[in-house]
Amino acid sequence: MDTPEVGAPTNISPDAEVVIAIKGLCKSFGEKKVLQGFDLTVRRGESVMVLGKSGSGKSVLIKCIVGLLTPEAGSISVLGEDMLALDHDALDRIRVKIGFLFQSSALYDSMTVRENLEFPLRRHWIAQDGNDSEALVREALENVGLENTIDMYPSELSGGMRRRIGLARTLILKPEIVLYDEPTTGLDPITGKEIVELILRLQKKYGTSSVIISHDLNVAKLAANRIAVLIDGRNHAEGSYDELYAMDDPQVKPFFIFM
Amino acid sequence: MGPTDEPGALRAMLVEVGEISHFTGKFFREAFRPRFEWRELVRQSFLNGYLSLPLVAITAFIMGLVLTIQSRPTLADFGAETMLPAMVSISIVREIGPVITALICAGRIGSSMGAELGSMKVTEQIDAMEVSGTNPFKYLVVTRVWSTILMLPLLVVLADAIAIWACYVGVNIKGSVSWSLFHQQVFDSLVFSDLLPALTKSVFFGLAIGIVGCYKGFTTEKGTEGVGRAAHSAVVLASLLIFILDLVAVQITEILGLN
Repeated sequence: MDTPEVGAPTNISPDAEVVIAIKGLCKSFGEKKVLQGFDLTVRRGESVMVLGKSGSGKSVLIKCIVGLLTPEAGSISVLGEDMLALDHDALDRIRVKIGFLFQSSALYDSMTVRENLEFPLRRHWIAQDGNDSEALVREALENVGLENTIDMYPSELSGGMRRRIGLARTLILKPEIVLYDEPTTGLDPITGKEIVELILRLQKKYGTSSVIISHDLNVAKLAANRIAVLIDGRNHAEGSYDELYAMDDPQVKPFFIFM
Repeated sequence: MGPTDEPGALRAMLVEVGEISHFTGKFFREAFRPRFEWRELVRQSFLNGYLSLPLVAITAFIMGLVLTIQSRPTLADFGAETMLPAMVSISIVREIGPVITALICAGRIGSSMGAELGSMKVTEQIDAMEVSGTNPFKYLVVTRVWSTILMLPLLVVLADAIAIWACYVGVNIKGSVSWSLFHQQVFDSLVFSDLLPALTKSVFFGLAIGIVGCYKGFTTEKGTEGVGRAAHSAVVLASLLIFILDLVAVQITEILGLN
């Protein structure tokens, strides 16, 4: 894959504010231990990718970050708030600052694209005035290049278009942090690359920090400042793409073997 | 099912009863707390009430007509043909109207709720709602259950009126009774205590349909297969609950001397 015109921001200061701090995170489903003491730190403006095999617990990790799943042990701090100590209302308030792009896009089937994008605005009283709402929806659609889909239903869109609209909905509240769950899975390589470029462009435009969950090394190469390798429920290795590529670790090496 | 499966099946049934009770408790906790989703409540009332009108009306007409035609020979044998309007109207208002309307709604609304919410669950739309800072239980469940609670009594009143009118048509197939005489015969026999228990139980039928449909949808697992199972089991369980509630209602009206 060619290097795109845009790339992950590289000038992240080690002293930049920590926006996500995860320590000793443990999560099990019955007998199956998925996360067993996972640690991760994300700084403002940084783009961190969590790389791991399918079923290794990557999606579980970001669902824990946003409070969709409750871990058994460990701590999660987002924008200085202890996510595990927040009540429902406080959790909803912090969630406005966290965007989440689902693997399936998760667009509301019963709503048009316009209604999908207006939904978070209406929920948080951000644009009660119809004109404000329309302007924000138009801006979000322009960002993803799909202004002509405004009155279409999700069932009328292709997979790539759904992913773009999902991204527009995620970013319409201008979140400080965005969590991407497998943003390119299920898409052809060209559309996948377009999505990654879009993510990078919007990340630059809005200055968001992000956590990207994927097993796609092209995403790692293009979109991440730093990569954390999730193996056996732990942050097994961490570093830039080149650092991990050069590593001799027998558990890390297989991820890069086909590159 | 083998003998060794029975304790497991019994346990599963008891667990489900416990979970539905908990779900119902959560509904009552959330139902009277702001924020109230008026817009969604109106939309659900339209979908569950207004769009059920044709089906309920046709069924009620057929029910009233068939009951009249089939009861006539027996009453004629006893020389009590003039009792036909009174007998049919009491049967419809006290029992058949509420139960048949509830069963139709269990089929139409219960299955639709189970399938819609189930599909939203497996495609992560409910998670998307939650991470956007919206309480999905309040937005999806509370509005749907309120709509069935409010719409069922209205549909029952409508079904009763149409069935009684169909009785008038049925009486006049083999006889000649004026509308004013028919009206007098019906309302001389009906008293307020016939209507009150019927409307009260239809409120509980509405609660049962809404709770079961939403519970089955909200707890859907295993992809599209699970969606089908949620829709099917919502209808079966809601129908069963309607009969159980009807039995309880009969006992209560008996104890209160309203029969």
